[in-house]
Amino acid sequence: MSQISLSLRRRSAGVDRRFFAGETTAAAALFLILAAVPPIIAGYPTYILPQYMLFGVLAMSLSLLWGFAGIVSFGQAAFFSVGAYAMGLMMHQDYGFNPAYAGILIAIPAATLLAAVTGYFLFSAGARATYFVLVTLALSISAEQVAVSQSGITGGWNGLFVDRMELTFGPLGAVSLTDDARMFYFVLVIVICVYLLMRRLTTGKFGKVLVGIRENENRLTALGYDVAFYKTLAFALSGGVAGLAGALYATHANFVSPSLGGVLFSTQAVVWVAIGGRGSLLGALAGGIVVSSLTNYLSAVIPDYWQLALGFIFIVVIVFFKRGLAGLLESAFEALRHWRTAR
Amino acid sequence: MHTIISVAIDATLITMVLALAAFGLAIIYGLVGVVNMGHGAMLTLGAYLTWAAASAGAPFFLAVLLAGAGVGIVGLLLEHLVIRHFYKSPFDTLLLTWAFFLVTTEIIKIVFGTDFRNVASPFPGAIDIGTFKLPAYRTFVSILSGLIIAATAVVFFRTSIGIKIRALIQNPEVSSLLGLNIAATYKLVFGFGAFMAGLAGGLIAPMLSIDPYIGNIFLVRSFFVVIVGGIGQLLSGTVVGSFVIGGSETIFALFTSQVVAQAAVFLVAIVLLRFRPEGVFRDQ
Repeated sequence: MSQISLSLRRRSAGVDRRFFAGETTAAAALFLILAAVPPIIAGYPTYILPQYMLFGVLAMSLSLLWGFAGIVSFGQAAFFSVGAYAMGLMMHQDYGFNPAYAGILIAIPAATLLAAVTGYFLFSAGARATYFVLVTLALSISAEQVAVSQSGITGGWNGLFVDRMELTFGPLGAVSLTDDARMFYFVLVIVICVYLLMRRLTTGKFGKVLVGIRENENRLTALGYDVAFYKTLAFALSGGVAGLAGALYATHANFVSPSLGGVLFSTQAVVWVAIGGRGSLLGALAGGIVVSSLTNYLSAVIPDYWQLALGFIFIVVIVFFKRGLAGLLESAFEALRHWRTAR
Repeated sequence: MHTIISVAIDATLITMVLALAAFGLAIIYGLVGVVNMGHGAMLTLGAYLTWAAASAGAPFFLAVLLAGAGVGIVGLLLEHLVIRHFYKSPFDTLLLTWAFFLVTTEIIKIVFGTDFRNVASPFPGAIDIGTFKLPAYRTFVSILSGLIIAATAVVFFRTSIGIKIRALIQNPEVSSLLGLNIAATYKLVFGFGAFMAGLAGGLIAPMLSIDPYIGNIFLVRSFFVVIVGGIGQLLSGTVVGSFVIGGSETIFALFTSQVVAQAAVFLVAIVLLRFRPEGVFRDQ
């Protein structure tokens, strides 16, 4: 019995290691392709892709929850919009130092705090996954409505105009990011950093505890883990990441509007993650980038039918490919390897 | 005194309309255990089908019935093609019904466009009782809502099909051993829930301008109604939950804007959920 479980464990560790090596290659490929966009394609893609990369970061924030802790949030856009409005409001202030830094420094804690409070409140009561979906849905609705109604601060439906940020390095000088290529690389560097940090976090002990909670919450409780604390931490982190993405989105798009916090945007993130692969940060990132790029492109070609098709793709993914594109690619590579060794 | 009575009237009307909107959801959630995220889309579809039938010349009540039947058939199709394979994993049904929402909303947009539509009210104007004025149509819908819930109660507690459904909720395994067709009963209940959602959408249509996202207003509120009232407390729970959600919104709206009132209601519901996760009435 122990023999079997030992060999099983060894085999699964082997799969894990191969999978991680595969993920590193895939991540490197994705980032290299992205890095090649400004010099090779330039023009509109260089302008628009940073937004989709930030959507990808939003997707990763959801994938941390969904893929690892097994919690689905229908309110990630609320944190994204908190970050975006924090950036928008700070950029209109003058405190004598770079307002964009102030924006980021407020965006992340504000979104983290909102997520932590909501999360702790629910998880400490052992709220069910379905309740969590409903409450986060309500959070998203409220975020949009508050942004609309507090028009004195947020500009209501008219939204807020936000300038492109400037990177200042104290006495060393400053780099303006109004140039699209510079903004592109700045966002790309941030996306890579967030990805590496989140990957590090999820492959470490924290990630293992989250997976443990997903697989068997009672067992983790019995082992002495404070499940509510870990879930809250995961949700807070995910809120913070979404807030950062929102803050950078605001300065990139030059515009913040209430719909950024809305239910539709929130659930778009759910669709991206489902299609990209809920169990994989990279899959979620790629899902966010690819699906929103396709949406942009196909909305011009087949405006009415693309969203419909996306809905059907979502159904097909949930019914047949639970692990999304990432899982599909993984099993394809696995099959290829088997085929090679068989020959 | 005058204000108190008019607030009470308002609260009652809102409670009953909300109960009607939430009833289909309460049936599907409470009896079949599916968190129907497509409920909003079912309400919207009901409203549009009513508009379509009414524009084609059908009298209003026939249009509403046709809309209910149409949404009921759509619900049956959804259950038969997708949902029934996922009864064992409730979270997947949540995602799938949300996908149903996405698809249905897009189809509605393609077929009907995104312009606002209006359905003429069959009872325009108001009823005068002394110093108070009751909006005629809302009052009618409120009474009808009460009647529908009462009629369902009779079916649920006084007929053999009601006994079968209750047996099924209590213990699916034993009832299937006793020869109850679980699959058919789930299908029946799911279809009835969808029918009720379509009917509610049609009845609510004259109160609002219809757009493809009209059901969303009711989706989250309906869920809070069901959860606050207590899942499975089909009849009393729906009314009590509606009263808590709708009533408190009316009262909050007296002091502040509609938007802040709704946010406040969500907050109340979330706090209630936190401390009474099984609904306000149920003991732990």
